[in-house]
Amino acid sequence: MTIRVGTVIPSWELPAVSAEKMKTMALVLVDPNPIHFDLDAVRALGMGEKPVNQGPNNVAYVMNMLAAWTGGHEHLRGIRVRFQGNVLGGDHVVARGTVSALREEKGRTLADCAVELMVGERVVLAGTATTDVTHLTGTQD
Amino acid sequence: MTMTESELAAIVGRPIPGGTYTIEPYVDWLLNDVVGSPRDGKVAHPLFAYISVAVGKGVSWDEVFAICGATAADGPMFGEHETVLERPLEVGESFSVSGEFVSAERKRGKRTGVFDIVGFRLALTDAAGELAASTYNSIVFPRRDA
Repeated sequence: MTIRVGTVIPSWELPAVSAEKMKTMALVLVDPNPIHFDLDAVRALGMGEKPVNQGPNNVAYVMNMLAAWTGGHEHLRGIRVRFQGNVLGGDHVVARGTVSALREEKGRTLADCAVELMVGERVVLAGTATTDVTHLTGTQD
Repeated sequence: MTMTESELAAIVGRPIPGGTYTIEPYVDWLLNDVVGSPRDGKVAHPLFAYISVAVGKGVSWDEVFAICGATAADGPMFGEHETVLERPLEVGESFSVSGEFVSAERKRGKRTGVFDIVGFRLALTDAAGELAASTYNSIVFPRRDA
């Protein structure tokens, strides 16, 4: 694999965010916020008819994209994102990214990437991530 | 009543109690199922850096909001999140969680009105006493009565 500045990372997508899995995540995160699982509460808050996905799930989708590209989660070094919008139950999400820089650090080759999560044309999360690409051959700036 | 800017500034440096967190294999299974990731069985999903500090920080979200002079009913929102991994986290590992509030800033927007952004850093230390990961999170607090 040849990696250069500007290399587009293969996108990762989830056709429909599961409202049922938000209930599991509420327990995993010990997060009592009812907007993730109680539709009556969602309606009472004037937030529509669908539960709101937990923000960390949206970060995980971007991590999944990077793991699929590099061959595993063990290569991720860091990620920094800004939350820009809600993802709702049933939404089709697409994680995308582009290599913005390549650098050497302690004998490893690291790729800095611009990443984002989309719902349709709407950016719901954006930021940067760094992943180790030493094991991917043909890396060049 | 909205806290004053000096009260807000006093949050910075306040320690977060912290605690411990173990990446239990069944929780790793559940998390990977929730977010649609293949399960490795050895390397934990990197989102566990966030989950470990969120669960192991030693205070509830309601207590965090109270420190910031707010409640869940005020509609606090995630602002930014950062994870820095010193190494991959492993399924079954236990970590100590510790940290503090590192920033608190009042902002005024023409469209959004007054809001505060409060940031905190939390670190995961492994059984050998080595730093495994650190996280930064900021929460945006609308201050409708400011």
